[in-house]
Parts: sequence; C-alpha cells; structure tokens
Amino acid sequence: MLSKKIIHLIEANALQLSNEIQERLLSHPSTSGYQDIDEKTLHTWIYDVCSRFSYWLDEDRERGEVEQHYRNLGKDRFEQGFDLPQVISALYLTKRRLWEFIAASREADSALNLNQAVEASLLLVRFFDHAVLHVTQGFEDVLRSKHGYEASLSKPERLALALEAKRKREEAVYEETKLPTLCFTKGMIRLG
Amino acid sequence: MLVKLIEMIEKNAEIMAGELKAKLLSDPACSSHQTLDDRVLYENIFEVYSRLGYWLLRDTEKGEVPTHYSALGAQRFEEGFPLHQVVQALVSTKRHIWDTVLEKGIMVTAKELDSVVDFITYLNRFFDMAIYYSTLGYYRALNLKTAS
Repeated sequence: MLSKKIIHLIEANALQLSNEIQERLLSHPSTSGYQDIDEKTLHTWIYDVCSRFSYWLDEDRERGEVEQHYRNLGKDRFEQGFDLPQVISALYLTKRRLWEFIAASREADSALNLNQAVEASLLLVRFFDHAVLHVTQGFEDVLRSKHGYEASLSKPERLALALEAKRKREEAVYEETKLPTLCFTKGMIRLG
Repeated sequence: MLVKLIEMIEKNAEIMAGELKAKLLSDPACSSHQTLDDRVLYENIFEVYSRLGYWLLRDTEKGEVPTHYSALGAQRFEEGFPLHQVVQALVSTKRHIWDTVLEKGIMVTAKELDSVVDFITYLNRFFDMAIYYSTLGYYRALNLKTAS
C-alpha cells in the first residue's frame, strides 16, 4: 500500500501527536467537556487511536470492529455526560491534527510522494467518517433504550405514512390541470 | 488548480445533484430522505455543488456555515429524521464530490496533485463543520423538546 509509510510515521510519532491533540481538546471551546476527564485517561483514549492507526485503518475491520468500537464509545460518552457534538468535534480535531501531520511529512520528506499523501488522507477521512457515524448511532441507541426517544422516521410504520403523504402531495401537483370551459356570449369569450 | 477543481464541480452541479439525489433515494441508510419532495432534495444538493467555492473558501466556524447547518439539523429533527441519517447524507454528499474528481481524472501533473491536497483540506474542513453544526442544531432541538 502506497500510504503505508505515512501511517507508520503517525504510529511512530503517536506519543507526540497524542500530547498535541490532548492540548487542543482541552483548550477548544467545542470540546470543553473533556476538561472534566482525568488527563491520563484522556491521553490513553487518544493514544489508542494514534498508536494503532494501521490496525484501525484495515478495511476489513471498518465494517465490524470499528463500527462496534465507536458505537460503544458513543454509548459510553453519553453515559459519561458528554453531548454528541462535543464528541464529534473531538474526533474532527483529532483528524485535523493527523491530516496536518501527513501534509507536513510530505513537505519534509521528498521520498514521500503526493500519491502517498493523497491516499493516506483518503484512508484518514474514511476512517473518521465511519467513526462519527457510529458514535452517532451509539448515542441514538442510548436515547432509545434509556430515554425512550426514537426519531419518528426510524419506525417503519411512520416512514410508510410519510411516504404515502409525499405520494399524495406529488399526485396533487401532477394532477392534470383542468382547462377552463369556454362560453360564447355575444362574441365575447367568457371563461366559465 | 484548486479553483479549477472547484469550478469543475460547480459546472457539473446539475448532473451531480441528480446523481446524488438518486443515490440517496435508493440508499436504505438514508431512507428518511425519501420523504422529502424530490425537488427539495435536489435543490438542497444543488445549492452545495453549484456554489462549492462559496462554501469551501469561507470561514467555516463563523457566519453562514454554522447558521445554515444548525438550522438544517433542527429542521431534520422536526421532520423526524434519525440523526445518523443526516450525518450519512452529508458524508455521501462529500464523497460524491471526491468520486467525481477521481472519475474526471484531471490530476495528472505534480502541480495538479499538489492542489488536490489543498482541495481535500478545504473539502473536509467544510463538511466537518457542516456535520458538526447539523448535529448541534439537531441536538439542541432534541434537548428543547425533552426539556419542555
């Protein structure tokens, strides 16, 4: 894989990157909830992603282990009192720092070509897209199981009703327009 | 070259919006989007693709991006969409842009590839914020509802 070298660079610099990401999470207003977490614990959470990046990026894991891991992470963060936007912002701040690292590595090392950087960035983006999606599903799981909230269109019967309502709306729009009847009154055309 | 990539998407906005609309309407992971009027769904997508430069090259943490996407999140909550489907649709909107860039194969020279790195940066920065603010808008509407 072209991007292997870059992924290994991330893992080799995992400690430094984790420190920097931790600093960002602790100072960014959109992730203020992380200030309440023990710093060692927070560091472990971040380090787990950075130090085993090739493990997480493995395509075979994306549909299984990554989904389960981030769905559970969503549930855990909900139980810990985090708002979902904070968790999503933390994931994006992590991604942004890793992307900056990839871009800088390419500039610093001419042996890393652009294709490698582009490929690595796509893996990074795909991984975090999955992570954000599954964290969201984890939050929804807890909202449903513990708070009884479920979005109405999650329920097949409500979805069917909404689709039926749409069909009727469209029928009304496409219904053939009735032409006005023409009435002739002493040479005038009156629209009846 | 960054501008060239953006212009390429904007010029193909009509076709791309039609393609993504069809994709969303047939994707079980975005089933709630089937309840939107087809025209509305198309226009929502077209709005992003046809003005991609406008969205990408502005400060995504201030101004219209937070306002627009917070409102979208709150609207989707009221319409009964599951939040993960809102996220999935935005991810699909982003991926379709990238797929189109790859399909058109306009990245040949080193200089062109170099600008792709910038394009990826801008594209992701914008969609990260779009997803973040949609989630924030949805979540606030949800909290308001549960609080009342």
